[in-house]
Amino acid sequence: MIRRYQNTIFLTLLLALASVFSVADAQNAPEASEEGKRVYEKSCAHCHGTEGRGDGSAAENLLPRPRDFTRGLYKIRSTETGQVPTDQDLFDIITEGMPGTSMPGWDTSLSANERWEVVAYIKTFYDGFKENTAPRQIDLSGKIAYAEQSIETGKALYTELGCVECHGNVGRGDGTSAPTLTDEWGFQTWPANLAQGWTFRGGSETEDIFKRFIGGIAGSPMPAFEGDSFLHFGLTSEESKRLTELENKDEMTEAEDEESAAFYEKMDAAVDIALRITEGETLNAADRQSFNNAMKVVYEKSWHLANYVKSLSPEKRPEPAIGNNALRSQYIGGELPTLGDAAWETLKASYFPLVGQVILEPRQFNPTIDSVNVKSFYNDNEVAFLFTWDDRTHTTASEDEETGKMLEDAVAIQFPVKVPQGPTAPKPYFLWGGRLPVYLWYWKASAPEQVTELTAKGISNAEVQAVQSDLQAEGTYTDGQYNLWVKRALKTDDKKDLQLEPEVFVPIAFSAWDGANGDVEAKRVISSWYTFVLEPVPSSRRFIYPPLVALLSVGALFGLRGFARRRNS
Amino acid sequence: MKTYMLACLALLLACCYVMPTLADHHEAGEMEMLQFPESYKAMAVSNGGTISGTVTFEGDVPEMKVLEITKDEAVCGLTEKHDESLVVGEGNALKNTIVYLIDISQGKALDKKTKPEIDQKGCKFTPHVQIVPVGVRLTMLNNDRVNHNVHIFSSVNKPVNKQQTKNRKKMQLAGVKKAEGPVQMKCDIHGWMSAWLAYVPHPYFAVTDEMGKFTLEDVPPGTYQLGYWHEACGTNSKEPATVTVEAGGTVTQDFTLSMKKM
Ligand code: HEC
Ligand code: HEC
Ligand SMILES: [Cu+2]
Repeated sequence: MIRRYQNTIFLTLLLALASVFSVADAQNAPEASEEGKRVYEKSCAHCHGTEGRGDGSAAENLLPRPRDFTRGLYKIRSTETGQVPTDQDLFDIITEGMPGTSMPGWDTSLSANERWEVVAYIKTFYDGFKENTAPRQIDLSGKIAYAEQSIETGKALYTELGCVECHGNVGRGDGTSAPTLTDEWGFQTWPANLAQGWTFRGGSETEDIFKRFIGGIAGSPMPAFEGDSFLHFGLTSEESKRLTELENKDEMTEAEDEESAAFYEKMDAAVDIALRITEGETLNAADRQSFNNAMKVVYEKSWHLANYVKSLSPEKRPEPAIGNNALRSQYIGGELPTLGDAAWETLKASYFPLVGQVILEPRQFNPTIDSVNVKSFYNDNEVAFLFTWDDRTHTTASEDEETGKMLEDAVAIQFPVKVPQGPTAPKPYFLWGGRLPVYLWYWKASAPEQVTELTAKGISNAEVQAVQSDLQAEGTYTDGQYNLWVKRALKTDDKKDLQLEPEVFVPIAFSAWDGANGDVEAKRVISSWYTFVLEPVPSSRRFIYPPLVALLSVGALFGLRGFARRRNS
Repeated sequence: MKTYMLACLALLLACCYVMPTLADHHEAGEMEMLQFPESYKAMAVSNGGTISGTVTFEGDVPEMKVLEITKDEAVCGLTEKHDESLVVGEGNALKNTIVYLIDISQGKALDKKTKPEIDQKGCKFTPHVQIVPVGVRLTMLNNDRVNHNVHIFSSVNKPVNKQQTKNRKKMQLAGVKKAEGPVQMKCDIHGWMSAWLAYVPHPYFAVTDEMGKFTLEDVPPGTYQLGYWHEACGTNSKEPATVTVEAGGTVTQDFTLSMKKM
C-alpha cells in the first residue's frame, strides 16, 4: 500500500520536474551549491581564479589566458551571437576541453555530477545567466548532407562572406589579416587552420562549424555571420538572382526601378525584424513567419559553407609516422622527381606531429606549427625528400622588437651521425643531440634554395660543417604552406654525414620555427625521434609473386569447391 | 592519439611555466568611464540655458603616428592615415573630446529619431567618436569595396562582432539597452581601424570639433557637474567642473587637457 503511494508521489514529482525543465528549455544544471564551489576551487581556480576573473596563479603563463567568467564571453556555444551558452554547452566544453589551449578535458577526472555542479557554479560569476529567458539557440534542423555539389556552393560563400580575409585562400589560417589579430584581452591570436580540423576548440563536425560562424566566437576576432551578413537577406534565391541582374544593368526602365525598389523594401523589412529580435522584442506571428522564411535561405547557405569548411580538413588527425605509417622512401629507377613533379602525388605522406619546445629556455608554449608531412623517393645513388608544413605567415628575417633577434621561418631535419645498431642501441638526445652528435639539414625561408649541413651536440652547441656536401634544395611558400624539396647522395665522403643504405632503419626528427610567432633559437616546435627507411629495392621476383599468389588462391578455391561438392553428394 | 598525449605530457612535465606577459589589458579602468545619472526623466525645457566652451591641449604635441596599412592597399592606402587618438588643431584645439553633464536627472527628451552613422571609408571610421542614444540603432556605412568587421567591445551591453561584407553599403546595429561608454569599436580585418562610442541615456553629450568647441543646449537652469573624456587625455571624473546655468543664459567653460600619465 505504502509502496504504491510512494510510486505515485515519485511520478508526480517527476512530472513536476519535467514541466520545470521544459520551461527552462535547455538549461539543466542544478542550482549553484557548495559542492560546485568545492569542485571549482579544487580543479579550476588555479587557472580561472577564485572569483572567476581568469587570474588564477597559473594564468600569467598561459596563452590564450584562462577565461574570465565575469564577462560572460564564451567561445563555444550552440546559441546565437550575444547570447550566453546553454548549460549543455558548458558541460560539453568542460568535459571535452579545448584543443590547442591549456584548458583540459575533465571527462575522466570529474564525475558527470561534479561537472554539472561546477557548471552551475561558474554561472554565478556572470549576471547575464540570471535573465529568465532561455538563450536563443541556433536552429540545426535543416542540415544539408555533405556532398560534392554542396561543397562547391559553400566554396563561393567562403569568399563572398570574407572568411578568406583571416583564414586564407584554402583555409590554412594565412589570410592577410591573420598577423594583426588580437583577442578581447589584447593578446595576439591566430585564425584557426581550417585544414587541421583536429585543432578546433569546439569540434570539427559540420554542426560544430555551422554553429561557430553563425554564433561567432565571443572574445576572439572571429565575427558572427547571422542573417544580414549574407547577400540580399530577406529575398528568396530567385529574387536575389533577379536583383543582381537588375543591379548589373546600366540603365533601368521605370518598371525595373519599381521592381528593385520593392526588393530593397523587402530586405529592409527582414533586417528590421532581425534587429527587433536582438533588441528583445517578441514578434507577432506574421513577422515570425517572414523572419523564418528569410532565415531558411541563410541557413541553407550556411550548411553549404559548413560542408565546404569540413572538406578542407582530413576527417581525423593523421596517424603519426610510426608502424604502418612510418616514412618509407620508395625506390625508383632513373631520375628522382623534382619539386612539383606529379610523381609525388602517388605517395602517401607520413605525418610527424610537432610540439612546442618547453624544456629549455626560451620556451614555446603557444606553438603555431602543428606538424610536418614527409614523402621520399630514392634511386641507386640519391635520395629526395619532400617536406610539407603549414605556417600562417611567410617570414623571411624580421627583427623582434623585444629582443632585437632576427626572426625567420626555418626547419631543421635531424638524423644521428651514426645509425644506432639495432633497436635498443642508444640514440642521440632528441633535442639536437648531446654526447652522441646529430647530423642536421638546416633550411631557412630567406635562402630557399640552400640547405646547410650542421653537426650538433646539444641545442646551443651546433656547428656548420666545414665540408658542405652537395645538397640540392628548393623551397616554396603558397597559401600558408611550405614545400621543401631536398636531394642528397646516399653516400658522401664526409665522416660527419649520415650514410644511407636500403633497408636500414634511420632515426629522424624535426625542428621548425615560425618567425611570426616569435620562434627563434631554442624557442621552436620539435618532434621526438621517429624512424625512416629506404624500402627494399623491388627485385624482379616481386612482379612474379602477385600473379602466382592469385593463381594459387584460385586453385585453392576450386579445390575447396570440389571438396564441398563431394561432401554434399 | 595516445602517442601525442604522451609526447605532449613528457614535454610539459619537463618544464615549469615561465613566460613573459605579452601585452597589457586594454580595458579602460574604472576612472576612464563616463558617468551616468541613476535615472533620467524627460520633460519639456522651455527656457533652458547653454553651456559652451573650447577644449585645448597643453604640452608638447606629439607628431601624429602614420598608420601602417598592412592590406587592401588599393583601397586603404590611397591616402596617408593617422592614429586619431590625439588630434590637435590650430591654437591647440583638441578634437574628439566628449563633454557632458554628469549629474543631470531631468531635462529634454532623448532624441530617438536621430540616425547616428559611422562611415567606413578608406578603411577608417568617421567620425572617430560617436554618441549613440540608448535604444537607437547605429548605422554602419561601408563605402569601401572591401570587407570590414564591426567589432564593438561592450561589457555592459552585449558585445557585437559582425561582418559587413563589401556588398553591404549600409548595416544597422540593434539599439542597446543600457548606458555605456566609452566603448571601443574596431575592425579586426584592418587592425588599425578604431573608433569610440558612447551609448547615452540623456541628450546632454557633445563631441568637440576641429576647433575644440562644444555646445550643450536647452539645459534646465541649475548647477551641474560638467565632465569630459578624451581617448589620450583621460577624464576629469575625480574633479569635474561645476557650472551654473541660468534660464536663457549662456555659460562658458573651457578645459585644458594634457596627455594622461601611462
Ligand atoms: C590549466 C589551466 C586551466 C584549468 C585547470 C581549467 N581551465 Fe578552463 N580554460 C583554460 C583556458 C586557457 C581557457 C581559454 C581557452 C580559449 O580561450 O581558447 C579556458 C576556458 C574555459 C571555459 C570557456 C569555454 C568557452 O566556450 O569559451 C570554461 C567554461 C572553462 N574553461 C571551465 C573550466 C572548469 C569548470 C575548470 C575546472 C573543472 C577549468 N576550466 C579548469 C584553462 C584552464
Ligand atoms: C576577422 C577574422 C576572421 C574572419 C573574417 C573569420 N574568422 Fe574564423 N576564426 C578567426 C579566429 C581568430 C579564430 C580562432 C578563435 C579562437 O579559438 O580563439 C577562428 C576560428 C574559426 C574556426 C574554428 C572554431 C573552433 O572550434 O576552434 C572555424 C571553423 C572558423 N573560424 C570558420 C570561419 C568561417 C566559415 C568564416 C567565414 C564565414 C570565418 N571563420 C571568418 C578569425 C576569423
Ligand atoms: Cu576594416
